[in-house]
Amino acid sequence: MLKLTIDNQPVAVPAGTKVIAAAEKLGIMIPRFCYHPALGSVGACRVCAVSVLKGPRTGIQMSCMLDVEDGMVVATGDPAAVAFRRQVIEWLMANHPHDCPVCDEGGHCLLQDLTVSGGHGRRRFPGKKRTHRDQQLGPLIQHEMNRCIQCYRCVRFYREFAGYPDLGVTGIAARVYFGRFREGTLESPFAGNLIDICPTGVFTDKPSRYKGRRWDFQRSPSICIHCSLGCHTTVSARYREIVRIEARFSPTVNGHFICDRGRYGFAYANAPERPRQGRIDGETQPVSTALDAALERLTTVSRTHGPDAVACIGSARSSLETLGALKRLCERRSWRGPFLWPDAQTARAVQTAAACLAPELRLSMKELEDADFILVVGADPVNEAPMLALALRQAQRQGATIAVCDPRPVALPFAFEHLALAPPFLADAIRIFARAAAGPPQAGVRASGGDAHPPDPNMPPAVQARLAAMGATARTCRRPVIVCGTQIVNSRTVARAADTARMLKSADKPAGLFFVLPGANAFAAALLSDENGAFNTLQAGIADGHVKAVLAVESDLPAAGEGLAPALKSLDLLVVCDYLNTAAARAADILVPTRSVFEEGGIFINQTGCAQRAAPVHVGGTPVAQTGGGDHPPRTFERSIPGAEALSAVQALDRLAGTETADPPAALADLHPVLAPFASRKWPDEGQLLDLSSEAAPSADWPPEEPPAAGKTFELVVRERTFGSEALSQRADCLRPLEKAPRILVHSDDAARLGIAAGDRVALTCAGGVIEGTADVRNTVAAGVVIVDRHRELNWPAAGAGWVRIEAKQIHKIEKERER
Amino acid sequence: MPSENRKNRTKPAQSSEVSLAETLKAFGCGFATTAKHLLRKPITEQYPEEKRQLPPRSRARIVLTRDPEGDERCVACYLCSAVCPVSCISMQSAQREDGRRYAVWFRINFGRCIYCGLCEEACPTSAIQLTPDFENCRRDILTLVFEKQDLLVDHGGKDREYNFYRHAGIATDGAGKGAHFDEDQPVDPTTNLP
Repeated sequence: MLKLTIDNQPVAVPAGTKVIAAAEKLGIMIPRFCYHPALGSVGACRVCAVSVLKGPRTGIQMSCMLDVEDGMVVATGDPAAVAFRRQVIEWLMANHPHDCPVCDEGGHCLLQDLTVSGGHGRRRFPGKKRTHRDQQLGPLIQHEMNRCIQCYRCVRFYREFAGYPDLGVTGIAARVYFGRFREGTLESPFAGNLIDICPTGVFTDKPSRYKGRRWDFQRSPSICIHCSLGCHTTVSARYREIVRIEARFSPTVNGHFICDRGRYGFAYANAPERPRQGRIDGETQPVSTALDAALERLTTVSRTHGPDAVACIGSARSSLETLGALKRLCERRSWRGPFLWPDAQTARAVQTAAACLAPELRLSMKELEDADFILVVGADPVNEAPMLALALRQAQRQGATIAVCDPRPVALPFAFEHLALAPPFLADAIRIFARAAAGPPQAGVRASGGDAHPPDPNMPPAVQARLAAMGATARTCRRPVIVCGTQIVNSRTVARAADTARMLKSADKPAGLFFVLPGANAFAAALLSDENGAFNTLQAGIADGHVKAVLAVESDLPAAGEGLAPALKSLDLLVVCDYLNTAAARAADILVPTRSVFEEGGIFINQTGCAQRAAPVHVGGTPVAQTGGGDHPPRTFERSIPGAEALSAVQALDRLAGTETADPPAALADLHPVLAPFASRKWPDEGQLLDLSSEAAPSADWPPEEPPAAGKTFELVVRERTFGSEALSQRADCLRPLEKAPRILVHSDDAARLGIAAGDRVALTCAGGVIEGTADVRNTVAAGVVIVDRHRELNWPAAGAGWVRIEAKQIHKIEKERER
Repeated sequence: MPSENRKNRTKPAQSSEVSLAETLKAFGCGFATTAKHLLRKPITEQYPEEKRQLPPRSRARIVLTRDPEGDERCVACYLCSAVCPVSCISMQSAQREDGRRYAVWFRINFGRCIYCGLCEEACPTSAIQLTPDFENCRRDILTLVFEKQDLLVDHGGKDREYNFYRHAGIATDGAGKGAHFDEDQPVDPTTNLP
């Protein structure tokens, strides 16, 4: 530790710290534009000048470029430094346009703050201002290059940090220009962060353009619920409308950034079609009437056909409180459920993952960035959990080797090795890797893997050799990490991944394990429900006539699995509680609107088992823009807020259960032993880590999986996309242009065998119906796999749940389309 | 000694006897003053029959003015609503088709306004101005809530010249990049020539 003095205050920091960071530790914010903790120093803006009074070189120095030295004395308020900074601001403002009143950054603009605090008010430079032409950068980001102060934060984030090449810097001297080579939509799904890091208004938020000023917003710390990572966000609302979501710093989860799905996926909360009132048999009714009717009819079904005739459904997008209330309702009324999983395989995989996350193995995203070898199995980071790709990119920048075993054509913003393997091979792939990583067998050291099946003869030898080579590399690495998905793999793969991480860990290395789960609260769903809570169980119940009524809470049933939609028609009663206008909500006999996470808040457990709380942002109600019909708000004054009738799902479920929960978080303590900390309402800011690993992990002994016969049968994999797949964000209009056209993908060899070319229309005849779409042929798809994009334009629910195998004869080319 | 001071102050002057001459003099002066004012031109104005021209900078009813080209000056920057000490101004900004930022709606609750003039002081475009028209009483308090159409006037108020969009530097249909005051033509970032 080096000791130095800044503004007469002593501070001790490790060697290599910059003076600007040391000052921050003391609470002294030295002005800065180009310096950013995540991006480092570049020394471009010259506004962080300080006076070094004692040190190797005294005088005015740039504090972001200056490493601390022992005994250094620094003065930030020295008149010479202040005058220097004032002049820098004046230079930076020489070309800055006179447009703060019409700039969306005004009010939270770093340049504005420093200009005002530095006292610069009148432009003395008599010359004309340099101007730039702007570019259209897509639906999310507004470009206004005149405002640029050349801090290089944008390209440093976009190219270096995120690893995308399509935004760069051109020109020299005063003509330096930050933009794309040609106008066009930014390719990166992290482009929205440019808005946060730009210290002035060059990049501003386009969907919320001219919606208001920062000072008028209701702002609250929240948690992103568009994937399982649980990134920290700050939500802004104004006039009962969610206006903007920004990244909130979290040292362990997302750092300073979030992805565009999390930033722009909130439109569902403002949607005009969002249910605001209750509905009974197609007639609009007050919420409490709808709830009373729901209770009455559900009780009638329960009384006539027995409590087993009522089933309760939830989903992983609900808060922990809601899932807990659903569980309590099922217990109190002896109704079936809660059913929280699309299929039993996912339920088992997620439960295995939750049980395998021992505290010593679990890694946060920040720790993942420190890894030097990462094996990703059955996960497609950019599409399933975008911020994971950014964390992997940071590891790769620091020299990590990254390999991905996945059947999908995984694309990541950096160089990595992709082994395209069909899902049944993934468990064996991990075993081959683990064998090599364990090294030659030694006495007393247990070989990893847990079972004695020989390597799969169907796996190409070249792939086996690569896996063995990777294992050998991992053995020499300081911190090898296994990242495992749960959407397309089974619990066997998950358990093997955990075994391998444990084996690597025991070799005296800080190895770790990182899971990607399906849904924001999948971990919580794993706490409160098991594989019996999968929809196929329910579907069988409906089919044989045992289940007469379904209560669906924040769950879109027809999108959830094959065959459930027709099954719902045979129900006597469908009650839906939701804040989305889903197909289930439209089909419901009784609809009870609920409050979204922005109005109610809630606890969400991310994939590391960290329970984090989102605070409510506003009270809810129909946005003023809608009540006013685009013009001024109505000139009538009422005590109640229009459209704010909805209850929280917890209150609604409590009414159905006939109980009242005064404190929903505290009530969770009874549901599961690991939720006991919620009883004492103390809530740490960094979240509460839950540990399920003491529970017995499921048995690791499985029969070998039957691999697909080459060219005859195909594994059907439903692929999630960054935009357009996730239930909430697919309702955002601004993200529609970014959705990639949905495709049915096959490997080029398989395509040749099937006689399919890219661009052909193909039809897959599945158990649940026909999936019709445009084919795409790639070499990066695993052989023996057909991939269907999870997109509303494709009938992907027909694929069914879990691992689905289809035969070659079930894949047809639609000839007519081609002739056209 | 405060108590003694008070005692001294409260003591009346010991001259209970007023002479007759002094009394008559006082009466005379009083009547003379009255007579003088009886014959003078009255200074009281007969409001509301007679209305006086107030100075142009006196502060009363607020208006939204237009620029010399007749377009709305207000860019809905929210500075007036931010500075308003009684929060009587509200608005919603949006982008107009020609690229200008404008107020979709703009509302001032004159039932709450204290006519302090801070909004006018904060306005960067000279849009919001206070006028001398103080006769703004209503029987129904709701009619004191003025919408944009009630506030807009068809002149520039006290500032006849200023046109923010000629200075602003953002491209609109009226003026593209480089067409504003003190601006050079847009540069070509692809050339390396000095």
